[in-house]
Amino acid sequence: MSVERKLPWVVKYRPRKIDDVVNQEEAKKLFMAWIDSWLRGRPEKKAALIYGPPGSGKTSLVEAVALEKGLELVEMNASDYRRSTDIERIAKTTSRVGSLLNVKKKIILLDEVDGISATADKGALDSILDLIEKTQHPVVLVANDPWDPKLRDLREVCLMIEFKRLTKTEVKKVLRDICAKEKLTCEEEAVDFIAERAEGDLRSAINDLEAVGEGFGKVTSALAKSLLRARDRELNAFDVVRRILIAKYAWQAREVSNQTDLAPDELILWIHENIPNQAQDPEDLWRAYESLSKADIYLSRIIKTGSWDLLVYAADMMTAGVALSIRNPQYKFKWVKYSFPERIKLLSKTREVRQIREDLAKLLVSHLKCSTSLIKYDVIPFLKIIFDNNPEYAARLALGLNLSDSMIKYLSDKNGDKIVALVEKLRQESRKPVPVQRGGPQEEKQQKKTTGEEKKRNEKSSKGLEGFFKK
Amino acid sequence: MGAQSVLAELLWAEKYRPRSLQEMVNQEDVVRRLQVFVKEKNMPHLLFAGPPGTGKTTAAHALAHDLYGEDYRMYMLELNASDERGIDVIRTKVKEFARSKLPVGVPFKIVLLDEADNMTADAQQALRRLMEMYVDVTRFILIANYPSKIIEPIQSRCAVFRFTTLKKEDVVSRLKWICSREKVSCDDKGLEAIFDVSGGDMRRAINILQAAAALGEVNTSNVYKVVGLATPTEIRALLKTALFEGDFTKARDILRKLMITYGLSGVDVVKQLHREIFSSEFTVPEEVRVEIADYLGEIQFRLVEGADDEIQLSALLAKLVLLGRNLRQTTTQPSKPSKR
Repeated sequence: MSVERKLPWVVKYRPRKIDDVVNQEEAKKLFMAWIDSWLRGRPEKKAALIYGPPGSGKTSLVEAVALEKGLELVEMNASDYRRSTDIERIAKTTSRVGSLLNVKKKIILLDEVDGISATADKGALDSILDLIEKTQHPVVLVANDPWDPKLRDLREVCLMIEFKRLTKTEVKKVLRDICAKEKLTCEEEAVDFIAERAEGDLRSAINDLEAVGEGFGKVTSALAKSLLRARDRELNAFDVVRRILIAKYAWQAREVSNQTDLAPDELILWIHENIPNQAQDPEDLWRAYESLSKADIYLSRIIKTGSWDLLVYAADMMTAGVALSIRNPQYKFKWVKYSFPERIKLLSKTREVRQIREDLAKLLVSHLKCSTSLIKYDVIPFLKIIFDNNPEYAARLALGLNLSDSMIKYLSDKNGDKIVALVEKLRQESRKPVPVQRGGPQEEKQQKKTTGEEKKRNEKSSKGLEGFFKK
Repeated sequence: MGAQSVLAELLWAEKYRPRSLQEMVNQEDVVRRLQVFVKEKNMPHLLFAGPPGTGKTTAAHALAHDLYGEDYRMYMLELNASDERGIDVIRTKVKEFARSKLPVGVPFKIVLLDEADNMTADAQQALRRLMEMYVDVTRFILIANYPSKIIEPIQSRCAVFRFTTLKKEDVVSRLKWICSREKVSCDDKGLEAIFDVSGGDMRRAINILQAAAALGEVNTSNVYKVVGLATPTEIRALLKTALFEGDFTKARDILRKLMITYGLSGVDVVKQLHREIFSSEFTVPEEVRVEIADYLGEIQFRLVEGADDEIQLSALLAKLVLLGRNLRQTTTQPSKPSKR
């Protein structure tokens, strides 16, 4: 960062012990348990993803743990792993199977993983996944925003550990301690001012304190205010949303959209998620959503027509439009807890079942010749009724349509296992020669079909009946 | 339910789909003209227009079947505009298909493009060029619910066939015939109920028939049971939670469940809500039904414009919460249970 004559305070006062890490008790407990599971042998997850606002102590905790437990820390920053080869090199040097006894365990720390660009650093994410799969040492990833879509695969293989934003009181306490150690006289008001500006970011608070204190030997609020100009910092998503939703004037809300690196289509999801937290009055809620809805329409027009000129209007509607919709003073300034966009979480959680449904829809399309959307809302519901109410019949349908076991279970929670068993029984019966009763050739083809080839089901399966029902 | 020896079953909507033109019991005028094409082994580009479940796709398949025989699928490229990812994918597929060999005796192959009215005007322009480029070896059959959404230049290059809504007696007699083939007991009232709830959509009618049959027999009570079950209970819960309980966040969770777990698109949810608001089980003053319908229309319009499903439907829920609040404030007599 800056030129170092002597140690910057952020390094000098970095936690040496686990206990020095301010607050974050829950995260510490989780992390320690995970490291212990590594030291004892096989952990449940080989990697941990520590996430939270900047300056909340994520990296510090990892360093403190390494120091206390006597583990070697192999650290990489986002700038180090722009290429997959870099990661592979690290992986090779560190993760070799320790053939000698008492090989020192290491912690592999990948900092700022959300700084990896999904397009420019193509392959880097895959290499990290690969590293996690093969590693013999605990891998710790650190990120500010873990819900970035490009990190989806990483999230699934990592133990997620959340760091909370530090409160102003906690920040102030650390600042006062440092003042005492540096033997600085400092005014309470100045500490308060610095802590306020830091918004929970301890690192930036310590930097500010150093900037004021070092040259002058004292920290007064007059000095602090004159030296520390408003830093044009990037706000994290929570702060962005909060500032938008409680803005009193249009300019306040609009200004925020310049202070975030959230793309407009991400920002709108964050606002969407949190509107009901702040707008609890039905009138406000309705107005706010009308604005958001318009912003969304502008966004869709931008995508459709490529007219990026429209972006300002989309931004206006989602920031100022929403902010000024919330008018009921009772809720406007009430402090509420904000949340991550649930949709992003849900989509990754439900991926498997959605995949089954897509496969099922595609399979049925080949039978019914209509769009997958029609299948989803006009065919699958009826199939579910049959599968829930008549397992014997359902089994024969499953056989005829060549449904996979997971599709059958998707269609009926209640009878899924039973139907799967019935299908298996039917398959075995159909392998035996069946007495021909009705429509000889159909029977023959039917049998050939059911004994068999799971894969080529779609196109061929209806052939036998086609022949039969032709007049 | 069918002969015992037949182990495998199919969906009846597929099993009893007419395979050739002469099997089609409806749309006589259309069928007669299509049979001329088969006889002459020549045809222009075709546009089949009409409401869902009136036999458009079936007619296209039957036409191809009659032209090329049992293996007609070798000579027909089936595309669904709402499933294909953009005109480029369609272009590539058509290009490749045009290069494959021609059938014996017929000088063209068929490109069947379903739900063509879901394509944007720009994509349709590109489609028009495709239709011209490969006209020497292919003919297009476009299928649309709303022909007015097909651009003029395409309409003028196609012979347009209008499919009309099926008549009640035709649907009922077809259902009855299926019941007799499947050895399922049914009564007329039940079959008529199916027609009423399916609105003349044959595919939907047959789906309901099959599900009702799986419950035992096809009577009115089973038919309504099926229709009730087929509507996700979440749709009703959505209305109840937003309108009567005024709980926006909970309603939005239900919405997410519908879209993510059930895989309904925003438009699907709007349509299902629309089905629901006019049902007698949904007790609100009549003018509120109309007000909701009006807003549903607005939301669907925005969705068709390409807006985000979840955000637009959340706007709808916010509207319902507000409507519900106003309703509770104005109604003095506590005739229906509603939370305050």
